[in-house]
Amino acid sequence: MNKSMLKVTAFGIAIIGFYIYITMYVSGLSGTGGGESAGGVTPEAGESVFWGDGQCSTCHKVGSSGSATRGPDQEGLVSRADERAKELGMASGLDYIIESIVEPEKHVVHGYDKIMPKVYDPPIMLSREKILAVIAYLQTLGGEADVPAIMKYKDKIPEASKKKVKPWIPPVAVDAKEGEKIFFDETRPVTCGKCHVVNGKGEKVGPELTGIGAVQTPEYFLESILKPSAKIVKGYETMYVITTDGIPYNGLIKSETESEIVLLKEESGEIEDVIITKTDIAEMKKQEVSIMPGNIGELLSVRDFYGVISFLQSLK
Amino acid sequence: MNKKKLMQLKSRIAILFFLSFVLLVIPYSKQVFSADDAAQQTVEGGAAASGVELPQFETGQPTAPPQQAEGQPAGEAGTATATVEEEEAGPVQYRTFFGIDSRVVVWIVSELHLMFAAFVLGVPIFAVIVEIVGFKGGDQKYDKMAKEFTKLLSAAFATTASLGGLLGFCLFGLYPEFMSHMTNVFAPTMYVYALMFFGEAFTLYAYYYSWEVLKGTAFKKWFHIILGVMLNLFGTSLMFLTNSWATYMMSPAGVVPATGKVVSLYHAFYNPLWMPVNIHRLIANVCFGGFVVGAYAAVKFLGAKTEEEKAHYDWMGYVGNFIGIGALIPLPFAGYWLGREVYSSSPVMGNIMMGGAFSWTFIIQAILIGMLFIGANYYLWLGMSRIKGSERYTKYIKFLTMIIFMCFAVWLTPHNLPLSGEERAMIGEQYHPFSKYFGVMAAKNAVVNMIILATFFSFLIYRRSNKGDTVPFSEQGKAGKIGIFSAVIFSLLMLVSYAISLNFVELEASVKVFVKPLIRCLYIQAFFVCVAAFLTFKNKGKLAQTLLFAVTACIAVLYFWYYGFQVMQKANLVLRYLSVTQVSIVMSCLITNAIIDIFMFRKAKLVGGIIWGKMPVRSQYALILLCVVIVILMGLMGFIRSGLRMDWHIYGIMQDTSQWAYTPQLSYMGRIVGLIVALFLGLVTFVFWLANLGEKKVKTEVSDYEESAGYEKAH
Repeated sequence: MNKSMLKVTAFGIAIIGFYIYITMYVSGLSGTGGGESAGGVTPEAGESVFWGDGQCSTCHKVGSSGSATRGPDQEGLVSRADERAKELGMASGLDYIIESIVEPEKHVVHGYDKIMPKVYDPPIMLSREKILAVIAYLQTLGGEADVPAIMKYKDKIPEASKKKVKPWIPPVAVDAKEGEKIFFDETRPVTCGKCHVVNGKGEKVGPELTGIGAVQTPEYFLESILKPSAKIVKGYETMYVITTDGIPYNGLIKSETESEIVLLKEESGEIEDVIITKTDIAEMKKQEVSIMPGNIGELLSVRDFYGVISFLQSLK
Repeated sequence: MNKKKLMQLKSRIAILFFLSFVLLVIPYSKQVFSADDAAQQTVEGGAAASGVELPQFETGQPTAPPQQAEGQPAGEAGTATATVEEEEAGPVQYRTFFGIDSRVVVWIVSELHLMFAAFVLGVPIFAVIVEIVGFKGGDQKYDKMAKEFTKLLSAAFATTASLGGLLGFCLFGLYPEFMSHMTNVFAPTMYVYALMFFGEAFTLYAYYYSWEVLKGTAFKKWFHIILGVMLNLFGTSLMFLTNSWATYMMSPAGVVPATGKVVSLYHAFYNPLWMPVNIHRLIANVCFGGFVVGAYAAVKFLGAKTEEEKAHYDWMGYVGNFIGIGALIPLPFAGYWLGREVYSSSPVMGNIMMGGAFSWTFIIQAILIGMLFIGANYYLWLGMSRIKGSERYTKYIKFLTMIIFMCFAVWLTPHNLPLSGEERAMIGEQYHPFSKYFGVMAAKNAVVNMIILATFFSFLIYRRSNKGDTVPFSEQGKAGKIGIFSAVIFSLLMLVSYAISLNFVELEASVKVFVKPLIRCLYIQAFFVCVAAFLTFKNKGKLAQTLLFAVTACIAVLYFWYYGFQVMQKANLVLRYLSVTQVSIVMSCLITNAIIDIFMFRKAKLVGGIIWGKMPVRSQYALILLCVVIVILMGLMGFIRSGLRMDWHIYGIMQDTSQWAYTPQLSYMGRIVGLIVALFLGLVTFVFWLANLGEKKVKTEVSDYEESAGYEKAH
């Protein structure tokens, strides 16, 4: 090998070495423990999991970051966790946070539904280490992470389920693409897209369904369509309003100012705005019934119905 | 002499052994592995079958008007059961490669195959273009260069095929269940693949071996060029076919998820990410081919013995770099489109990519792309030293350097720069109050466009270095007018059609108001494109170019940087339209200014000419840097594209339940990609050396013959 070739080889190896150094440096900077562990229990790693493969951000926002409203806003979580721990007679806010993750149905915040999945089970299947990292991140929301304290709870966190995820099988052969067409088809008597947004398309009357397939099961979709009032997503409860003239209204609150409210009212399959001045309101209360039509099952053929479910399931 | 050759051979073999050793040893070094849980693999039964109840309507539950379309109502679907299939003890799902991590084996083999394939696909595009340029311009050195690279191709092609075969065996052997699914879906296309492969092999060898035979007449040469075009068509079709398999794994479509039954092969093939990946890879392959050619020329230049050789390889390096940069400029746009489609096909995958586990890989990507732009610009600036008259433009270099480095710094700023608890408490918010504005997409898009404009400016001053007084535009004849008109019409079509389409986007009224400024900007740019054309016709081409550069930088960089923040805070959905608007405006500037430049400096007086071969040695290292970096970048992007599926073989359809179903950390990825790059470059060097063996032998024989003939004559 001549001298110039040796120099070129050395130069090439130096560039590759520089690249490897950069990846190691960034690996450390991004909170993965200098590159020798698979993420590590750090707030930074937990933050990545929260906004990434933990899919927590599908339901929770943190202050101005994110926009999800299905679950409580996590900003200032630490002080709220301490308060609730006291109310429940628990040792610390950390106990409360850990129990809320391990057994999500045990402590449901008032006003929210029991919709949080067990993150160590399919489809999310977070490893124990990642869950611990998320807890470390949650501790920074109004406080400081105490990793040694978190590690004491290590054994309380179940290991990720090794169950193989079996895809849902609709009883008839359907195509999610067809389901998408039906979802947005405005020529039908019922159009899901008139009330739900998916990937920026549709109207935001009901909850946004972008990415819903990653956190909910087909059984949940079946129930939500056939029995819409069984579980109403937080923030989308129907309000019952009677004006001083005795006129009743049922609808969702679109916006509210000091002087008036704008109610979204469903009339013969169409959604319209009703502006009511607050001084004209005699009574206003939340209803147990969803504004979503309860007879969608009767308006779609079996194939179309499962096509829509299949489409929702594909929104991952 | 023979001893020297023997020593060279020995040292080459030693390097090969070293690389093979590294390949074998690294997977064994367990300390670099870090699985979330690499222990047992149990496959349990699925959930029990569950029934769906008939609707139970509560009092007062609103109802929608009755169904008018025909079809059985879903109410009768109450008996339909969403069953979950019981897990059956089935055939083998996974095997290991003699105890080595199967994933690493497939990772290395597939990436090596992909890199060779990129070379084999990119270089023919390059070769045919160069051949056409040589044929039309009557310059034999282009033809010679095109042939030289086709010779390398035939050796590289065999390596690509061997690696492809090895990859197939690895996949079928190590991931039998996964490959069973893929075969079930794509079997018909696999036969087409085989046919295309034959087509590529035949046209490649016909193209190379008929080079000298098909010389002499225009008809023969065109026939040869058509063979080259056919070679590219077969190669591109092959790539598109395999892309459909790879993208199906990311955005599957056209199958019943549970059974893998194909509902529509068309949808499985033409899945949402297929075309964006096709376009991105096609452009990237040209860029890759250009930079590899540049590095080959650089190595030859450094080892050149004569001035003639130096001049030839200097020119070859310039052409390689020119094609590399030419393809590099639109590559970020194609990449943006691909990223946007990833978001559209799966928002969760999109979040993982840009806001989750993979967001940091884009910082590394930014470093590499920054190195490419800086290296390419540096080479151009050094190249000006071989041109008399370039001193008129060297004063701009320091400003260009400043702009490029500043943009690079912004591009490198991470959005979620981690802060300690103490720092957060001190700042009072989650992100750094200052740096966060440089880390968001609006800032990054703005500086990428600025880097592209600066690189284009570098190229323009390089072009002008040898040009003196220009001929008035009115004397450029019909070609000039047609050229400018074509550029203006193309730019206007691009700008105005997009502006019109923005009027019809389906968005809420409160969000749609944020689209209006984009439409205005598109019309403003369209107006200035027309003004630039008008000024050119009035023999004020330089003013036209300056005006268009200034307007473009003001709108696409400065204004959209600011407006991007507004949009992000108030109407995030508009960001995607903003980015396309930005791209359209920059593209219109590049196209119009390039055409103006071509016709403005046509027939211009030459200042002093180009002295090929008069390049500093460091310029050749810039070319080598570009080659190594593009190979690393390809390795990194391969990791990102494949890793986004997280623990799914086929996203949402077939889960990866093997012990390697975890995302490797960045440092581990860096080591594996580094190894792959070293292996690829080593193999390429070996293949090039093999391809040149025959030539050396011929040269030696000729020189021996000449010597002996001289000896006989003398005696």
